[in-house]
Amino acid sequence: MSESPLNTTRRYFLGQCTGVSVGAMALNSMAQQDMMGLPSLPHFAPKAKRVIFLTQSGGPSQIELFDHKPGLMQWAGKELPESVRQGQRLTTMTANQKQLILPGITNFSRCGQSGATISEWLPHLQGVADDLCFIKSMTTDQINHAPAMTQFLTGHQLPGRPSMGAWISYGLGSVNRNLPDYLVLISKMQRPSDQPLYDHYWGSGFLPSRYQGVKLRNSKDPVLYLTDPEGLPRHLRRGMLDGLAELNQMRFEQTQDPEITTRIRQYEMAYRMQASVPELTDLSDEPDHVFEMYGPDSRRAGSYAANCILARRLAERGVRFIQLFHPDWDHHSRLPSWCTARCRDTDQPSAALIKDLKQRGLLDDTLVIWGGEFGRGVAGQGKWDSPEAGRDHHPRCFTMWMAGGGVKPGVTYGATDDFSYNVAEKPVHVRDLHATVMHQLGIDHERFTFRSQGLDFKLTGVESAKVVKDVLT
Amino acid sequence: MVLRMSKHLLLLLCLTASAAAEPVSFSREVLPLLSDNCLACHGQDESHRKADLRLDTQEGAREVLKSGDFIDRITTDDPEEIMPPPKSHKPKLKMEQVALLKRWIAEGAVWGKHWSLEKPVKAKVEGHPVDFFVKARLAKDGMKLSPKAPEHTLRRRLSFDLTGLPPSDLSDRSNQSDSIDQLLKSPHYGERMAMFWLDAARYSDTDGFQSDATRTNWPWRDYVVESFNANKPFDQFTLEQFAGDLLPNATPEQKLATCFHRNHMTNGEGGRDKEESRIDYVIDRVNTMGTVWLGLTLGCTQCHTHKFDPISHADYYSLNAFFNSIDEDGSAGTKANPYLSYQSPHAKHAVDEAQKLVDVRKPIEANAKADAENPFAKWLAEQQANLSRGRRPSSAFQAWHVVRGSVESQEGSKLAQDKDAVVTASGPNPKQDDYRLISTIKRPRLTGLKLEVLPQNGVLSRGKDGEFILTDIKVQVRRKGSSQIRDVLVSGAVSDTKVEGKAREYGDVKGTLDDDPRNGWTTKGFPKDQPHTALYELANPLVLESDEELIFELKQRSTNGDANIAKFRLSATDQPGPAVREIGPAPLENLAQGKIERERLLAQFLEDYEPYQLAKASLDRANAQLKEVQAAAGKLNVMVLAERKEPRDTHVLVRGVWDKKGDVVQRDVPAAIAPWPKDVARDRLGLAKWITSKDNPLTARVFVNHVWQMLFGAGLVRTPDDFGLQGQRPTHPELLDWLAVDFMEHGWDVKRLIKTIVTSETYQQASDRTDPSDPSNLLLSRGPRFRLPAWMIRDAALASSGLLNPALGGPPVRPHQPEGVWEEIFMGRFTYEPSQGAAQHRRTLYAFWRRSIAPTFLFDSAQRRVCEVAMTRTNTPLQALTLLNDETMMEASQALAKRMLAAKSEDRLQLLYRAVLTRQATAKELAVLQRELDRALTHYRAHPEDARKLQATPELAAHTLVASLVLNLDEAITHE
Repeated sequence: MSESPLNTTRRYFLGQCTGVSVGAMALNSMAQQDMMGLPSLPHFAPKAKRVIFLTQSGGPSQIELFDHKPGLMQWAGKELPESVRQGQRLTTMTANQKQLILPGITNFSRCGQSGATISEWLPHLQGVADDLCFIKSMTTDQINHAPAMTQFLTGHQLPGRPSMGAWISYGLGSVNRNLPDYLVLISKMQRPSDQPLYDHYWGSGFLPSRYQGVKLRNSKDPVLYLTDPEGLPRHLRRGMLDGLAELNQMRFEQTQDPEITTRIRQYEMAYRMQASVPELTDLSDEPDHVFEMYGPDSRRAGSYAANCILARRLAERGVRFIQLFHPDWDHHSRLPSWCTARCRDTDQPSAALIKDLKQRGLLDDTLVIWGGEFGRGVAGQGKWDSPEAGRDHHPRCFTMWMAGGGVKPGVTYGATDDFSYNVAEKPVHVRDLHATVMHQLGIDHERFTFRSQGLDFKLTGVESAKVVKDVLT
Repeated sequence: MVLRMSKHLLLLLCLTASAAAEPVSFSREVLPLLSDNCLACHGQDESHRKADLRLDTQEGAREVLKSGDFIDRITTDDPEEIMPPPKSHKPKLKMEQVALLKRWIAEGAVWGKHWSLEKPVKAKVEGHPVDFFVKARLAKDGMKLSPKAPEHTLRRRLSFDLTGLPPSDLSDRSNQSDSIDQLLKSPHYGERMAMFWLDAARYSDTDGFQSDATRTNWPWRDYVVESFNANKPFDQFTLEQFAGDLLPNATPEQKLATCFHRNHMTNGEGGRDKEESRIDYVIDRVNTMGTVWLGLTLGCTQCHTHKFDPISHADYYSLNAFFNSIDEDGSAGTKANPYLSYQSPHAKHAVDEAQKLVDVRKPIEANAKADAENPFAKWLAEQQANLSRGRRPSSAFQAWHVVRGSVESQEGSKLAQDKDAVVTASGPNPKQDDYRLISTIKRPRLTGLKLEVLPQNGVLSRGKDGEFILTDIKVQVRRKGSSQIRDVLVSGAVSDTKVEGKAREYGDVKGTLDDDPRNGWTTKGFPKDQPHTALYELANPLVLESDEELIFELKQRSTNGDANIAKFRLSATDQPGPAVREIGPAPLENLAQGKIERERLLAQFLEDYEPYQLAKASLDRANAQLKEVQAAAGKLNVMVLAERKEPRDTHVLVRGVWDKKGDVVQRDVPAAIAPWPKDVARDRLGLAKWITSKDNPLTARVFVNHVWQMLFGAGLVRTPDDFGLQGQRPTHPELLDWLAVDFMEHGWDVKRLIKTIVTSETYQQASDRTDPSDPSNLLLSRGPRFRLPAWMIRDAALASSGLLNPALGGPPVRPHQPEGVWEEIFMGRFTYEPSQGAAQHRRTLYAFWRRSIAPTFLFDSAQRRVCEVAMTRTNTPLQALTLLNDETMMEASQALAKRMLAAKSEDRLQLLYRAVLTRQATAKELAVLQRELDRALTHYRAHPEDARKLQATPELAAHTLVASLVLNLDEAITHE
């Protein structure tokens, strides 16, 4: 189905009303219609106006970073008791290996007034501990990357459903008429990634494709096809678009097809984006102290750190859903070189983003989320007592943090058992996270549905999901 | 959404229930109400059934209907009692809905089946069957068909619908029925139909998951094109794709056909259990069959009995059983058995084409090389003269110059540079550290850097064992006063220590280029009291502005650490080629010593000689393409179906989870749809026969609806993937049935079906006036009008500009895409090389489809991850940008401009309109075009440098812009 009948009616009606000439007023009112989300939303007053989702792809180790288990030292090298494992499925990478316990290899500090436990590998994050809300009892169903990330972002392990950002964009509409509502930023890495970032991670699934995430690329075309060819100056493009609009307008007068007026408007928006996007992605107007705050990597376009600055600029411009992806957290081996490399990429910029948003008064209505698709297991992968050891995927528990947007600061919620293996208290399933994020945006996840193939789909799926009210202000 | 749906339903109800005198129709009026409001909890799904009440069967409902309980519960004001209950978020039934249900009960509560499960019947018609039903329906609302569309509009409509291409502006206008037959005979008809079938079949050239390995299943795509062109009966087409391998004396093409059911994604992810993947594939086949042939959302029954449609959890796995004994084990990549070894007859064309291109470019390269001889001799003489003229003795010529600057470390090592530019580390010795050398190097340009690791006290590092590990290097440039840094791409690394490069181990110096701390350069195993050297070649010569500084970073982040370099020196050179690729003296250094190495010197010269580099790069690309298509012309492994010797047991999977096995089930089909045909074996052949049996009420209707959607932009059933209770009802049920029965009666003849539809007045109506009471054109009071699919827009641009290469079949090609889009997704593992020569201008059908990143120039297209038969059509600024700036669109614009310039100047704009829009421009339109052309001409004549950037003369540049304008017109991209 291309368009809902009602929508077409509305557009058609507007097209008819304006008769032979489409005045500027009508164009404007239609532009506003287009930007509006669903009339039924929000369901109640939102605490957050926008989301910045710092997606850490690959599964960061909660054991090295947040979930401090000093008691594990006495279990070092011993086999994981079956009473803890309880038949947990393993990936075929370690299924045939003895599950020998590798205690966390980092030192932890109790940070800030809240006393959150944060690893030495994240020194900058330690400094903003009191602004963060840790959920240590996250849990998911999937043990491999693609299905787990797909579930983490779309609520279902198979591709084909809309990503959270697409749902939000569809439901709430946009604030900034020069930029898309849902933007995606991917860290530029030099090494080939073992887990590609499929575009269905920010896809619109069965929702119309205009709600899909638009990737801001680190290249001469920050948005695909944005840049006019060399040798086509701006004023000529303007003229050409005027001619195009004029001829399209003549066609509209003959046909009264409202799609034509929409098209005229979309070409205008494209023209505006050609100016607004480069203005957005050009960081040269940022003062030096900003780069110092986000760390040396922030001076390198395309880095996670530079993307964090961009995220703040997008937040300032009212973009609804901003999603960063940082790949390669999949440390099956060599925790001390591999996991630390990703910590070094992300620690300072993530912390700086919190500080920066706070300084600018944006943190209150911006919900920041940090996390990956699953956690890592307590058993060592490879020889457990060698620095070569890593950890395999682990779906039963992992840690995420959130900040701002009506989330309680300085809180740690939920807990795992002594092995950081099972959730011991207050489990939060990924669908509970979805329900909670929606709630902060003023959406009741139970009532926000879309009919496709005869079923009313919702982000949180068919099983019951709960809003984690305890972490909300 | 809820609001929108109910409005639409109301409209549909009004459409179908206007004659109040008729008795209430169970299937049309009652069942949808029950389905929407009751069956989620009172349907056939036992596990979700509340109060042990069923309202999906006559039996189950009898009691509550009789007792009046049913009406009481839907009308009460008691919030505890009211149905549907408030917590279901379903609104209370409306008064007219309740009235309808009451009337139905009063009329005896006649029970029936859902419309799509009743066998279709052919009503008696007068005149053209399509028009008969459509006109009758319109008449009920006092409406009638629109007048016939103008001739040029109709020509375009037919040409796009039947071949996916615009009419040729040169072809003569023969009478219409001829042209319909001609279009159906065109080989491009099969291509057009194949594009729809490939979307439904989730066809792709790669696996999809994780490494997204490339497959060679494209011969199946050509099988589809050929089948449509040969007008293979749809039941036969179905049979071959389900079970070609089981046919007696199966031909290779019949076996090839079964690739349909192998086009699903395959997952080769490292930790994945293969059995889980295998079961996913079986499930995907059943779901795809459900969507494409039956219009049923079978996917719902993977986890539980269907809440709305009469298909149980066990039915679903009985269908799975047909596909569960394929001789496969869930592997992906090159191990995705079973394969058919197949050599395609269509690859030869591609080889010839590629060979021709090589033949053209080879002499150009040879000539460029020959042309370089003189300049080379001159250059060599100059070099010799320079060397002898130098103040210092010529033997002292140095290719490398030490780099001086400020030094700093990340983690605390103290670094100091001495007068020989040697940097020494002292003081704290952290476990891991990064060193940086920042220099305002004063050389006109840089082609490479040399890193010497020097021994200190007889060892190379500050670590315990005296060995260093350099995990990564970075070369960056920073402009003074600028906040930002840019990375300089390093294309190669060599060292004086050669080791077998193993992934993720320390040793090979190439490991320092990938930003992966798990590999890197160490000289362990080589003397540690000797200096060691690494050379880094820059991908492009670097020219530093006077206010720019160079940053060289040495990252030492090895797993065990304690391997920081003790002493090093960095040098730079401006010599290209051998000097930065080979350890030892540079060619000019040897020359200074009187040693003339002709080959190395020539290699160095050519490196900087642009005419040759261009010719060589162009030849290299042609050669690479030739090699690729030659491989494609050999025997290929195509994924197909084949049974394993021992059939597997098929289990119901509890809640759809792959390893939660329930009862064993046998091969069977849902009885509610159609009975199993007599005397047919329970295998895939039998399944295909059941699907296309005349007793099956779904298949013909569903296929007819696909075709209708293709021609009208929306189906007679507007949910082409759901003919079940939750789908929409047909707008013209008798028409759908008539066409379905007629289709079956005439041997599933697809071309005949299409011809029946397109010869109707209904199809041939003008599309430009919409009746305000029916904005979605549900009643078909105007012709079909919708934006063309993105692939057709690209093909049309190629065709109308004359660039189109009309070749059929063969290995996939790579149309222009912006640089870097594959690289971004895979962080560089796959690079996209656009096809060279005529291969660039093939139809979009042949574009290489990488599942994890579909071709970027397509919008609103199926994603080819799972089966998709519905169309989406949006209207966004990103589409505008694509059509304005895509390189193919620019090439087409320029080609059109060249055609214009070849004509008389007063004919040019009309030629453009004819080529793109198949009609003459009006005077008003001409005025606008002329104005824009003049504006562009004025600019480019005043600024020929801008035209040169577009590789054009001012005239060509201006005409290109106007051609691009016309290609972007709404009329150019709309099916009118």
